[in-house]
Amino acid sequence: MTDMPPLLEARALVKRLGGRLVVDGVDLDCHAGQVLGLLGPNGAGKTTTLRMLYGFLSADGGAIRFEGADVSKDLDRFKRQLGVCTQDDTFDGDFTVRQNLEMAARYFRPRPPEVPRRVDELLERFALVPYAGDKPEALSGGFRRRLMIARALVHRPHLLFLDEPTTGLDPQARVAVWDLVNGLRAEGLGIVLTTHYMDEAERLSDALTVLAQGKVVAHGPPKSVLGDMLGDHVVVLEADGSTMPAVAAWLATRLLGEPLSVLGAWHLPLSGEQLADFAREFPALRYEVRPPNLDDLFLKLALPCAR
Amino acid sequence: MRALTSALEWQSRAVVGRHLRVYLKNWHTSFLPPVLEPITLLLAFGLGLGAYMASGIEWKGRAIGYMSFVAPGMLAYATFMTSIFQSLFGAFIRMRYQRTWEGQLTTQIELRHVVWGEILWAGLLTTSYVAIVGLVLSGCQAIGLLQLELEYLPFVIPIVFVSACAFAALGLCFTALVPTIDHMNLPIFLVVLPLGFVSATYFPLGHPVLAAISTANPVYHLAEGLRGLLLGDGPGYHLAALAGLLGAMLGVLVPLDMRLLRKRVLGD
Repeated sequence: MTDMPPLLEARALVKRLGGRLVVDGVDLDCHAGQVLGLLGPNGAGKTTTLRMLYGFLSADGGAIRFEGADVSKDLDRFKRQLGVCTQDDTFDGDFTVRQNLEMAARYFRPRPPEVPRRVDELLERFALVPYAGDKPEALSGGFRRRLMIARALVHRPHLLFLDEPTTGLDPQARVAVWDLVNGLRAEGLGIVLTTHYMDEAERLSDALTVLAQGKVVAHGPPKSVLGDMLGDHVVVLEADGSTMPAVAAWLATRLLGEPLSVLGAWHLPLSGEQLADFAREFPALRYEVRPPNLDDLFLKLALPCAR
Repeated sequence: MRALTSALEWQSRAVVGRHLRVYLKNWHTSFLPPVLEPITLLLAFGLGLGAYMASGIEWKGRAIGYMSFVAPGMLAYATFMTSIFQSLFGAFIRMRYQRTWEGQLTTQIELRHVVWGEILWAGLLTTSYVAIVGLVLSGCQAIGLLQLELEYLPFVIPIVFVSACAFAALGLCFTALVPTIDHMNLPIFLVVLPLGFVSATYFPLGHPVLAAISTANPVYHLAEGLRGLLLGDGPGYHLAALAGLLGAMLGVLVPLDMRLLRKRVLGD
């Protein structure tokens, strides 16, 4: 898949907002049939990057190419190929669920063919048929999200942007959205996804681009990103023991930085070699060893920002 | 230049089409009040206040019935108020509360089309209201309440449409600037009502200071221009002044709207 040229290619994207550098030289690629997870703590520049990618904001620097063509040369043609599901619900409250889909189709040229049939197809696929005649505000959170995604697909785009598509949903509704995203990927859509849910990013993404303070700090398949940034293991130990100063000193001498502190426990991302060294250094210490996950990555990235 | 030519692009028409569909769905609630308001005012001012001026009112050296004086002014006032309120409250609600604009912007619609869609929709809506008021005036003329040159009524339509678009462009500036809907009182009391009242819609501007101020007021030129047209005095100076002011308003305010709303809506 990655041998093919990317559907979407961003190079050296830069954006300043209010005089502040929000996005600083971001590169990313998304291929057809691939879910690219865009991750980062709050303020990392995810939403601004996404907004530049789908043409909401113009970039101050860098280039965005779609199917090899410079997007800035023909933004209108590019936007015809995009589906965008924003983080907040932006459906049209003056229309019913069905009318929202029909209305969205009117905002594209060339007009999507056979709109009534396409709308029926989307209502069926997203299980919205029973609510087709209702106003969107009557829907539950999960069905509103489905409507938002269905609306983004009404014109059969090639690339779909999902900005935190499952925020605020219950677990059942989240899983339903995941299934839909999986299905869309299988159909060959390129999908750029931002999320705060680490399990969502790990399960759905074929590749991750991790942002921190406006820069890409890691990119690749989820496992490799975790390995590169965190190591192979995470040691979890209670932070109130008398050996903690010694552990902190051990970390400092190996240039491993400060421990990640969560609810009175320290989480230490370590490579296999470092873990063996740690075990030799602290044979009497009680601790747990587990594989790293994206929560660890977020904590690691968020720590310098918080300070 | 693109800011102005975007009015002709299909996306701007698509935005107008959306507003028209909503309007037609809710016509019974959105259509009647703005139509009834100028009719009520016409009857109240014309029949009520007019009863105290049995000898009529002097306009351009000739005596005319007060109701005939006020009727063209009512068309101008309805044009101004309908378009500016649509672009103040209607647009603000769509931008801030309904988030209609944000939804549109995720498609091939761009902000300049949203802006033009709002302006053209205000123009279209206002023109339809004024056309209906024009029909009421024709009815009043038929029963002898008015003495207007009604054959000129069709010429009022394009004048009202362009005027309404320019007033809507002014309203959108405030929509872009006011932080909350409660702050709409500021432009309404500081700008909209003074422009509306210092405009010779309901009474002639005899005071020299008011007359001097009104020369820069497009509502005044609209009221006097329509009055000249419908009372058989010809288009004259006021419509020429109106054309100049409207051209300047559209040329300056539309790009300004786009700039201000870009910052407000997109944060850019």
